[in-house]
Amino acid sequence: MKALLRQSAVLIALALLPAVVQALYLREKIPWQSRVAESDFVEVDTARGWAANVIWVDARPSEEFERDHIPGAVSLNEDRWVEGLSQFLGTQWSPEKKIVVYCSAASCNLAEDVARRLREEAKLPNDIRILKGGWEAWLAKK
Amino acid sequence: MKRVVAILIGGLFIYAGAVKIIDPVEFARDIDNYKMLPWQPSVWLALYLPWLEIFCGLALITRVFFRGGVFIVTALMSLFIIASIAAKTRGLDVSCGCFGHASKYLNFSWHLALDFLLLGGLLLLWKRPSPVA
Repeated sequence: MKALLRQSAVLIALALLPAVVQALYLREKIPWQSRVAESDFVEVDTARGWAANVIWVDARPSEEFERDHIPGAVSLNEDRWVEGLSQFLGTQWSPEKKIVVYCSAASCNLAEDVARRLREEAKLPNDIRILKGGWEAWLAKK
Repeated sequence: MKRVVAILIGGLFIYAGAVKIIDPVEFARDIDNYKMLPWQPSVWLALYLPWLEIFCGLALITRVFFRGGVFIVTALMSLFIIASIAAKTRGLDVSCGCFGHASKYLNFSWHLALDFLLLGGLLLLWKRPSPVA
C-alpha cells in the first residue's frame, strides 16, 4: 500500500513539471479568464437592431431548426458541417454582413463551436458574434 | 495476457495524452462542457491531465511505477465514467474529446462501452498472479 501511494505521488509530481512548462510556454495563447470573450457575444436587442445587415446562423440540430427558428436564419451545425457550410457560402453569405450564431440556450456550446469554426476553418472576414442566451432569449423577447 | 493488456492500455493512454497536448484549449472546452468546474480549473486540468496520462501510460508499458500507474489510470477512468453518466443524466450533450476530434463522432453508448472495456482491462491488471502450487 505504501509503495502504491509513493509510486502514485511520484507520477503525479512528474506530470506537473511538463504541464507547468507548457502553461508558461502557452501563457499568451490561453484564454485564462473565460471560455469566450464577452466581446464575442451580442444581446438579442442589439442584434435585432442590425436588421438587414445580419445573417442569423442556427447551430442547433436540424430537427430543432425545422421545428422553429429565427426568421431568415440558415441552419449550419456540426453534424453536417461540410455540406451546410458550402450551402451557406453559396447562398446566404455576404462579406459585408455581420453573422450572429445561436443555439438553444445560454448553457449550450454549439453556437460557440460553429462561430469558432467559421472564423478559424472557413476564415470568414465577417464580424461573427454569439447570441447571448440563444434561442430561449430570442423567444423571451419575441 | 496481463502484459499485453498493460501494453495496449498504456499505449492508448499515451496516444490519448499526446493528442490532447497539441490543443489544451480545445480539451479545456471539453472539460468545461461537463459544467462541473469553473473555467480556470478546467484550463489547468487540460494542461495537466494529458501529461499524467502519458506518464501513467509509460508506467504501464515499462513496468516502472507500474502499480502507481494502474492506480491512477483506474481512478481517472472511474471518475470519467461517473462524470459522463452525470452529464448525460443532466441532459448535457458532451464530447469527452478523449482522443481528440475523432472521439467527437462516437456516441454516448460507444463511449461508455469503451470505458467499461478499459476499466475491465485495468481490473485485470490489479490481480496479482496466483501462487504456483
